[in-house]
Amino acid sequence: MSRIETIISELSSISNNPRKAMEDYKKETGKGAVGVMPYYAPEEIIHAAGLLPVGIWGGQKSISKARAYLPPFACSIMQSVMEMQLEGVYDNLEAILFPVPCDTLKCLSQKWKGTSPVIVFTHPQNRKLEAANKFLAEEYRLVREKLERILDVKISDEALHKSIDIYNENRKVMREFTDIAAAYPQIIDPIKRHAIIKARSFMEKSKHTAMVKELNSELKSLPVEDFTGKRVVLTGIMAEPNEVLEILKENGFAVVADDLAQESRQFRNDVPLGTDPLYRLAKWWQEFDGCSLATDAKKSRGPMLIDTVKASKADAVVVCMMKFCDPEEFDYPIYYRQLEEAGIKSLFIEIDLETTSFEQTKTRVQSFSEML
Amino acid sequence: MFTMGIDIGSSSSKVVILEDGFNIIAGEVIQIGTGSTGPKRVLDEALSKSSLKLQDMARIIATGYGRSSVDEAHKQISEISCQAKGVFFLVPSAKVIIDIGGQDVKAIKLDSKGCVKQFFMNDKCAAGTGRFLDVMSRVLEVNLNEMAEYDSRATEPATVSSTCTVFAESEVISQLSNGVAKENIIAGVHQSVASKACGLAYRCGVEEDIVMCGGVAKDEGVVRAISKELKKPVIVAPNPQITAALGAAIFAFEEVMGTNK
Repeated sequence: MSRIETIISELSSISNNPRKAMEDYKKETGKGAVGVMPYYAPEEIIHAAGLLPVGIWGGQKSISKARAYLPPFACSIMQSVMEMQLEGVYDNLEAILFPVPCDTLKCLSQKWKGTSPVIVFTHPQNRKLEAANKFLAEEYRLVREKLERILDVKISDEALHKSIDIYNENRKVMREFTDIAAAYPQIIDPIKRHAIIKARSFMEKSKHTAMVKELNSELKSLPVEDFTGKRVVLTGIMAEPNEVLEILKENGFAVVADDLAQESRQFRNDVPLGTDPLYRLAKWWQEFDGCSLATDAKKSRGPMLIDTVKASKADAVVVCMMKFCDPEEFDYPIYYRQLEEAGIKSLFIEIDLETTSFEQTKTRVQSFSEML
Repeated sequence: MFTMGIDIGSSSSKVVILEDGFNIIAGEVIQIGTGSTGPKRVLDEALSKSSLKLQDMARIIATGYGRSSVDEAHKQISEISCQAKGVFFLVPSAKVIIDIGGQDVKAIKLDSKGCVKQFFMNDKCAAGTGRFLDVMSRVLEVNLNEMAEYDSRATEPATVSSTCTVFAESEVISQLSNGVAKENIIAGVHQSVASKACGLAYRCGVEEDIVMCGGVAKDEGVVRAISKELKKPVIVAPNPQITAALGAAIFAFEEVMGTNK
């Protein structure tokens, strides 16, 4: 097995088994993990406390118990998170960080049924004011205090700055990875690409950085081969389950860039420089644009997508619409029109973690491939 | 030269045999779809009516929901591309296609050459599909082919939900028990189907000529309701159930001739 295959296989196995990643971290460091609910949270505070931040992104499963607590039109990611919390899946987490940028998260944060303590915090939506930075830095100060109390640790400013540096390095390496991967679609297919990126949600970031850095360097040493398929940019919350990515692969599509909340939106911006680490983390939210969960009066998602399509020489955009995610549904008509005006074709597919039948997705993807 | 298009849908199986890319030799439909005996039966029927053998076909292309299960086919092409090809062949002025089949509703936008510019499909939901009409026909005890006639006698269409077939079914049952005339309920059912399909057409952008195909296009009540909702005339493709199979047969011909775009 080549070094590239080994790294991809290790990252894929972490991505597929977060529980084992947590257990390994505990064995190695003696420290536990803190869950991080979607979509954006100052993971650096957890990292600075020496614990493992673990992304909670639901999973592919049928829903039954969650029906007692959530309406059927709650998004499928939250349905699966609710189902798994009722099954006690998250109970060995030391705490859970809970941002509430949409109505479903806001309501879910008030009915958590697991046993781990939940720390809820609010992102300001009037984001471009200086007051927003101050407000969010204060929220993060409360998050730090609560974490210190729950975990019985002290989180210093120095440790926070250091963790921000580690995260920024990971963000930079991930941006490099997505650029490099676009040139090697024969090696980094849509499933592998997703696994490499998703693994960062369950790994100590400097470890993930080291592995991806090595992968980048190994990939760059290979010759670039011609790709005869179509190159697409994914946009939305997430592109799961893997069957969706398999269908893209089967129809000759390569993912050359993404605008997914679970993937590139996490690392496309660095945390800016500054003296107060919490203010730096807060400022990240102000500078972050192009996401349905962050109010954007200028509606820059469409223009950003158009720029991404051009920069990555993509043929089209695939909209991965999370079922019943109203912020994403509201954004869609705006950027769809902007893409049409720019002459960029787009495909709409529905993302539903509960589904086991993919016939409609197959038809849509095949038709799109024939249309391009 | 003969080519064949096989369209295996969720509730019907269709075969078209084409001679030299334009002459329809056979166009057969059997009202059972994938996973049933329908695909084999419709294939046998088309061959028998045309007095041809499978070996006479220069190329066979399968389409529809069950396209990957057709062993006889040389290739599979999606039903969206095939509908576009078949409808444009029959109605070259078509700009928007509304295709309502057994379990799918699609709106397809064409460019001036008949190529697919954009398309939208329904979500995983039977509302607004042929299956929805099947359910309503059973509850109302009115044959599918009589529904248009009932609709034409409606005086005050009832309101029927377009969100969910199960909810709509219970709405219809309660309207029946409240004594609402079947004619008015059926007109409401047709409006419900139309609102679902038109929602997709609006996403595509509505432009004339609008052409309907798929099994539901045979129900004039639905066609009238769609035309009313869009405030534009709607053309029903000739033999609307076989348009995707026809498109597949044309694709097969073009592939043999090396003119496939």
